[in-house]
Amino acid sequence: MPTPTRITLLAFQVGFGDCFLLRFEYSSGRPRHVLIDFGSFPKASWLKKTGMRKVAEAIKQQCGGKLDAVVATHRHADHINGFTTDEDDPGSVIASCAPDVVVQPWTEDPDAKRNANKPTAAFMNAFAPANAADAKRAFLRGQAFVESLDDMRALLPALNRNAELLRNAGYRDLAHQLAFQGQNGITNRRAVENLMEMGRQGVARYVYHGADSGLEAVLPGVTVTVLGPPTLQQTKTIKKYAETSPDEYWLTMARTTLRFYGEGTSSFDGGSGYAYDDAPAYARWLIARLRTLPARQLLEIVRSMDRVLNNTSVVLLFEAGGRKLLFPGDAQLENWSYALEQPGVDDLLEDVNLYKVGHHGSLNATPKTLLWENILSKSNDLATVVSTLAGVHGGDHGNPTEVPRSTLVTALESHSRYTTTQSLPKTPGAFSETRIDV
Amino acid sequence: MRPPTARGNRLTVIAQDPAVLDRRGQVLTASVPVPAELLGPGPWGYRVQVVDYDATQDRLYPPLEYAVDESGSVTDRFANVDPRSFIDSIEFHSQNVYALVMRTLARFEQALGRRISWGFGGHQLKVVPHAFADANAFYSRADEALLFGYFEARSGDMIQTCLSHDVIVHETTHALLDGLRGRFIDPSSPDQAAFHEGFADVVSLLSVFSMPGVVEEILARKSGEKGESDRLIRVDAVDPKNLKQSALLGLAEQMGDEVKEVRGEALRRSVSLDPSPAYLEDPEFQVAHRRGEILVAAVMTAFVRAWSDRLQDLLAVSDGFLDLQRVAEEGRDAADYLLTMNIRALDYTPPVHLEFCDYLSAIITADVEIRPDESRYRFREHLRTSFADFGILPASGTVVPTQDGKKINPQTTAAQPTEPGAWVPCSTLALVYDRTHADPLTRDPDEVFRFIWENRADLALADEAFSQVLSVRPSLRVGPDGFALRETVAELYQVLRLRPAELERRLKKIELPEGLEDDDLIPLYGGATLIFDEYGRLKFYIHNALDNEARQTRRLEHLFARGALPERGARPRDFSRIHRLRSFNVGNPREEW
Repeated sequence: MPTPTRITLLAFQVGFGDCFLLRFEYSSGRPRHVLIDFGSFPKASWLKKTGMRKVAEAIKQQCGGKLDAVVATHRHADHINGFTTDEDDPGSVIASCAPDVVVQPWTEDPDAKRNANKPTAAFMNAFAPANAADAKRAFLRGQAFVESLDDMRALLPALNRNAELLRNAGYRDLAHQLAFQGQNGITNRRAVENLMEMGRQGVARYVYHGADSGLEAVLPGVTVTVLGPPTLQQTKTIKKYAETSPDEYWLTMARTTLRFYGEGTSSFDGGSGYAYDDAPAYARWLIARLRTLPARQLLEIVRSMDRVLNNTSVVLLFEAGGRKLLFPGDAQLENWSYALEQPGVDDLLEDVNLYKVGHHGSLNATPKTLLWENILSKSNDLATVVSTLAGVHGGDHGNPTEVPRSTLVTALESHSRYTTTQSLPKTPGAFSETRIDV
Repeated sequence: MRPPTARGNRLTVIAQDPAVLDRRGQVLTASVPVPAELLGPGPWGYRVQVVDYDATQDRLYPPLEYAVDESGSVTDRFANVDPRSFIDSIEFHSQNVYALVMRTLARFEQALGRRISWGFGGHQLKVVPHAFADANAFYSRADEALLFGYFEARSGDMIQTCLSHDVIVHETTHALLDGLRGRFIDPSSPDQAAFHEGFADVVSLLSVFSMPGVVEEILARKSGEKGESDRLIRVDAVDPKNLKQSALLGLAEQMGDEVKEVRGEALRRSVSLDPSPAYLEDPEFQVAHRRGEILVAAVMTAFVRAWSDRLQDLLAVSDGFLDLQRVAEEGRDAADYLLTMNIRALDYTPPVHLEFCDYLSAIITADVEIRPDESRYRFREHLRTSFADFGILPASGTVVPTQDGKKINPQTTAAQPTEPGAWVPCSTLALVYDRTHADPLTRDPDEVFRFIWENRADLALADEAFSQVLSVRPSLRVGPDGFALRETVAELYQVLRLRPAELERRLKKIELPEGLEDDDLIPLYGGATLIFDEYGRLKFYIHNALDNEARQTRRLEHLFARGALPERGARPRDFSRIHRLRSFNVGNPREEW
């Protein structure tokens, strides 16, 4: 079997977002290309109008008009809105590259959606159900979880309304966070449909830890290991979650939020009451203070949703010719915790040669001890690549909320060959190249 | 009009939460005493004002109003009524929160022998039973309020956190602790961050335990599950291990499936923790909401041991079985006693940089002062043992070794503690009293500061620091001889803000993080609790020195690692966010940049 002779990672300038084209070259035959994410949110000014289409065309040019695979690590807009067929329709350009395999996390499996009536391989293969009732329970639980992520779309009007309320009350930073994190999590329907359609044209894989990604079939000489995300069943086995079910808490939050903030809001029928303007004097001071409370609560819910979605990220390890490349999407500690608890994963991640920095370099997506200090920083020959833009996510320099996090960047710069898209020109189609010789 | 003569009211409350039914399948309720007062609509009393505003629906519900009889007692329309008829009544929700907040407040005031102010400066805490649609409940100093959420359960039913005894007492305890020790929300050690959550859990657990009927139901249910009688309990079921399993875990499990999501399984985890000193250094337990579980586990382990010991007297006359009612009564009494100990201990804690070792010394000291003879429960002995099992030794170090290098200044102490682990009294210190006056020393912060300033060398105050007496409070206790003892508790607070270069000169071993600017100001805090005896003499000086190099270095390195320093736009502690993190069980500062 042929093995790659060179591996190149092209990191496209998309502002705050991810767009990577991974190229495997061989001594004979055409190179193979995998597009890993394509999104930008909020879209920088140079990407508006036709900017994303120009990026798509640059991708098409670089892959010679043929993509072997597309990986959409998770559904945040800054990772998938480039697949949309709306606006300047960059998605059609990608679709015209006819990817043979489309990889997404199990949470995107259409068989898990509403009205599905059969368990999916994604839920079942991760464990051996004791009986049919056990299998059905697992399916329903997973289905409820996935539906809740979809249903959060109904929050969009409430997000905008409450962001405005916070802004008017003087909470400008909180308003920005609510608008940004909320909208980033709301599904871009056209992008999702395009990904599903591309999957139907080729092979669609909805993966979880240990699953077959289908990528090896289109990448000769390359081994691909799926390290994440864990399924709900796998999550339950994480040591710190042994007695809790974070998805169950999330489901409670989602149900309540949708019932009272989403479209078709229903009220808690606690009896008759009267609106603020008619409120008696004794309550006015408190009411004035509490009026922004729902918006602040909604922000906390949105932050929780952000974390939940990040933890659905596909985490892939590519190995070829003795080289290892790690792509974790935006996976956070909980996603990593499962992978790193599994036997053999520590060894597998020894001497990684390329690490795509998770979540645009935020403070909590490269677990400091578990992943960086114990494993990655010990690599003899490490290149790191981050796609990010400072000042978008909020937080002054030195503040833990800043993205990219300065303490992480310092560590990356001192222990690796560090590349950031921030140093690229702000031009659609600009990209950096990181070469890994095999 | 004739003046009212009633000394108290009794109001119906939910004993645990609506999901917990007794053996008859009914929601467990209780009638609890609350102080008598002339209530306005709300109800609106001298310490609590219930304002039923729903921020999510932007709706204000009418206040609950009481009819009053000739003696001035309120008429409880929910007494002796099937709970199913009022469980969904918003008026009952108002009564439930009012009664449990007042009961908790009364409990604290009884233990401390004085009124307790709220932390925000006003007299009346607003309590909002349906504040928002969310699986959360929290105390907000800024809003001067306790805010309770409601949310949709899996079944589609609405769950009201304002009906959960545990949640209400937990949040009220945050408010009370904020009034007693306002600086405990400042950025400090992991222990201090954890203390608010852990202490609130201890109070709510012991408070639920001391409710009539609760323990009986739990024990009877556990016996019933094993196919045994629900009126007798086997002798081997009352050893500490089995009591912990049946009573404590049973309570935690019964906290209602849905409310568990608000409390994040914390109580269940706390009582399940096996004693081990390893948790203190475990990265998972560096976050506040998990570290507090260590405190809960240590206190509740001591509780079951003391309870089991009390039952040994009963075992002597048993024939292999014990009367379940009697077992439950002993448990209730022990819980009540331990709750008082824990509350009284607050007066003996330093005002800043609280660590668990300080709290242990505070509990021991507070109890030995009031009750030298502890033959009934031996709680002090059990607490020393259980805390030691979790690696926590008393801070007071002349008799037992310290764990943090805390040294007693020989100039401030000239005596041994009255009991192992208690604070060392300083009554023999040669302090100057004749430039102050005894009477204003019992109430006037300026007089207390005059005393401190005059004696600042002997009291080892940090020079250059800003100093302030935060509070001067009376403490009325009944001594062992039955006489009333009037003591005074004062809090002194010090703060000094230094630039990085100055910090390195002062704390020679500190490793400053990268990224500090030359003119960043890093705060160092110090403080002391002064206990004056009935003659106005300083009895205890519980001091966390600003210049304690080991402790300050440890604190700052922890805060730098968390990004809490330097204070650029730092926010006060946000109980809403902490409770949500608890429910999600997230957060491991070791893994964050």
